[in-house]
Amino acid sequence: MKKPILFSFTAISVALVLLCQCGKIDDNSENSFKIPVEYYTLKNGLKVVLSQDKTAPTIAVAVYYNIGFRIEPKDRTGFAHLFEHMMFQGSENLGKMEFIKLVQSNGGILNGSTRFDFTNFFEIMPSHKLETALWAEADRMKGLKITQENLVNQQGVVKNEVKVNVLNQPYGGFPWLDMPQYANENWHNAHNFYGDLKDLDSAKLEDVDKFFKIYYAPNNAVLAIVGDFESQDAKKWVEQYFGSLPSSQLPAQPDLSEPRQEAEKRFTKEDKLAEKPAIAMAYKMPERNSTEYYAMGLIDQLLVQGHSSKFYLSLVQDKGYSGNISGGINYLGNMFNYKGPMLWMTDLIYDDNVSPDSIIAVVDKDIKDLQDNVSQADIDLAIVKLRSSLYDDLGDYYGVGKADLLASFALFDNNPERINSLESEFKKITPEIIKATAKEFLRSSNRTILIVEPKANLQ
Amino acid sequence: MKKLIFTLLCSAVTCLTLSVMAQPQTPPEGGTPKDFVLPAKQEVTLSNGLKAVVVPYGNIPKVVVQLIIKTGNMHEAKDQVWLADLVGMLLKEGTTSMDFKTLSQKVAGMGGEIDVQSGMNNVTISSSVLSEFAPDLIKIIGDMVINPAFPASEISRLKADLSRNLTTDKSVPQNIAAERFFQILYKDHPYGRYFPTQEMIDSFTIDMVKKFYASNYGALRSVIYVSGKFDEKKVFNAVEVALGKWSKGPEISYPAITNKYTKAEEIIDRNASPQTTIYLGLPTLMPKDKDIVALEVTNSLLGGSFGSRITSNIREDKGYTYSPRSTIQDRIGASVWYESADVTTEHTVESLVEIKKEINRLQGEPPSETELIGIKKYMAGIFVLRNSSPAGIIRQLSFIENYGLDDSYLTDRVKNIYAVTPEKVSQMTEDYFTYENMTLVMVGEKNLINQQMKLVEKIKKLK
Repeated sequence: MKKPILFSFTAISVALVLLCQCGKIDDNSENSFKIPVEYYTLKNGLKVVLSQDKTAPTIAVAVYYNIGFRIEPKDRTGFAHLFEHMMFQGSENLGKMEFIKLVQSNGGILNGSTRFDFTNFFEIMPSHKLETALWAEADRMKGLKITQENLVNQQGVVKNEVKVNVLNQPYGGFPWLDMPQYANENWHNAHNFYGDLKDLDSAKLEDVDKFFKIYYAPNNAVLAIVGDFESQDAKKWVEQYFGSLPSSQLPAQPDLSEPRQEAEKRFTKEDKLAEKPAIAMAYKMPERNSTEYYAMGLIDQLLVQGHSSKFYLSLVQDKGYSGNISGGINYLGNMFNYKGPMLWMTDLIYDDNVSPDSIIAVVDKDIKDLQDNVSQADIDLAIVKLRSSLYDDLGDYYGVGKADLLASFALFDNNPERINSLESEFKKITPEIIKATAKEFLRSSNRTILIVEPKANLQ
Repeated sequence: MKKLIFTLLCSAVTCLTLSVMAQPQTPPEGGTPKDFVLPAKQEVTLSNGLKAVVVPYGNIPKVVVQLIIKTGNMHEAKDQVWLADLVGMLLKEGTTSMDFKTLSQKVAGMGGEIDVQSGMNNVTISSSVLSEFAPDLIKIIGDMVINPAFPASEISRLKADLSRNLTTDKSVPQNIAAERFFQILYKDHPYGRYFPTQEMIDSFTIDMVKKFYASNYGALRSVIYVSGKFDEKKVFNAVEVALGKWSKGPEISYPAITNKYTKAEEIIDRNASPQTTIYLGLPTLMPKDKDIVALEVTNSLLGGSFGSRITSNIREDKGYTYSPRSTIQDRIGASVWYESADVTTEHTVESLVEIKKEINRLQGEPPSETELIGIKKYMAGIFVLRNSSPAGIIRQLSFIENYGLDDSYLTDRVKNIYAVTPEKVSQMTEDYFTYENMTLVMVGEKNLINQQMKLVEKIKKLK
């Protein structure tokens, strides 16, 4: 199944590094690829990450705000995403469409997206336009000028986005939008973050103003610049354009924690547009950055990533239940770019003559095997796959992939240098840790199963 | 306490900022553009006719390898739609000396996995692995295409996968619209075949797979591309060792286009659909045409970019849709321009009215210099980006290879973009974007669309 590339302002997907003289980098991995990282914070609280890369004469500028859909207002589901759209609707110095035209007519592309724990905005531009891009991002961080007409227009656009990606699509929202709602208990993690259409309709200009004032402030954001630039120029312009923006009084973060799950949960969902059943299985993840979290990164590789994984070999090659399986940590990103509670999940579409329990039985057998038998060779293979996939993230989308990791590590850990030490964290994981992690986190009592019942043929 | 002081201080700064900024500011221009040089390529043709194109690029320690064979769905008989896909799936099942699991684990140990994509004109076997494994990957790909096992034991499972894909693909409104649109444009030509029937899939045998492979795969039709970070000498050696002994196979051959285009308008009913999926378009110029760059500039300005006129209108002004776009889709020997959009059902016809208005407006009046230069700079910027990643570089080079273009297509592109005048854009719209010649396919709630279609007369009267 296709990985959703959703919550994008247009329809493109999203994706870190520093000049590090100072890192504690694991030096027993000769292939490790170091990324330059320069990191500092302006007086107003804006975190700034610079990572030079002169491969192409382009730059990526990304601003990450510490406002994801988990913490949007309870009576305004989908508001964080709707607000993302408002950021393109006009500011003090750029009217409607002018931001977009400024970027495009200078040879660039742009987008934004809303995720569990952040909303981001980025431009990829020819390198000599860095100052232009920084000015424009600072301009909309300074303030918006939204009219009622523009709000209504974007309510229409967002409702059409929900329709094209969810309501008018077989398996629309499955499992990326659905599963968090079934698996989680805490409203913040368990609501419809694309938004109920009626909540989207009821958004008012005053909501927009309020939301902006609370969350869109320099002390709640990271600015990442990746690509072909000179450090002293970048720093000068960052200070010039962002330095005078006022910080805001940030509210206390709500409690996002999930209780320990003690019993398996099973749900079915009727899909009037689907013709084949589908199943998703989700397990609550260990806390981010814990030893078990890194172990889950390796378990993910061993169980579900690629043609060599256990699930692929058993469910696809051996049993022929499906032509493909999807899976991973964080369906709306990767295992690094989130902060709160997360699910590890897998899903597949299968035929009517297969019972969901026979699929679950295969999954259980593979998990049991992992809980009992893991060798150092398995771990070594998982690390190679993971390193390769990390390099893909770093090379993704003309610098945006790198900016994404750098901004996430700055935003969530106040430490973008982590980008250069990830591999060493995974290398600390032993077969015993893998087994223990699999026993605790891949318990059937820690999982939620969601089955799609196809109803298209009944119409 | 500290926090409070900080806040007050910032408020003071805000006031200051506001008073200074009463007048809208103009964005800073930025510096001087840097030169962009296309990454250098090296090409070798082996004695069996297979070409190798190698482009070192970037600093990330990975390498992309793609073997592109000039065959695909275009070489299927009319009752064999997706047979090429089945051949591709079976190639992944292993070689005479390596079964699926062994092959997959070897490639996984390099940090990659093998992907086989069967397209209309090309079959692409590709993978991206850690740099040091480039030669080993090339050898595996060579083994896959020269010594495929084609295990008969796997065919019923793979046919079941095709059947499942057929069912799920056909339930997606965008696929339903595209299928009918290309059927209308290309009729019984292979380019007009989008989905097989279940009976076709049922009829596939291992012998049909072997026959398709024997008739269509071979060195003469193949180019291997390598881009990223790697040891060039070792890569060239590996290509020679892995693919030098492959038989020449058949000459390159493309199905002739003999169908004459006739426009059509169709609504495909989809009960209770909250949106209508629109495909609207017509045949257009091919990549070798002297006016192709002018056509592309016109497309970007009209509907092919976020700031384009159609998108500004039906999305950013009216809010009828989320993701409208216009595209030039190339096949060998035929190209099509189309606008596609999923619009709110009740605004189906109004969306078409607005699209037509935008076409008419551009026909009647050349764009301003400012608007056009913006689009040209955008396209020049996109051109740099397209050549700034290993996979992107391969896409560009395989495009010129497939369409028989010379390097000047790439080296002169920016110059050619800047040469397009406002009058030329208007003329191109007049010559190649005649609304009345366009085929329209709509997938949605037929009754509701028909009610609105009464307004179609209104569209027809529009000049």
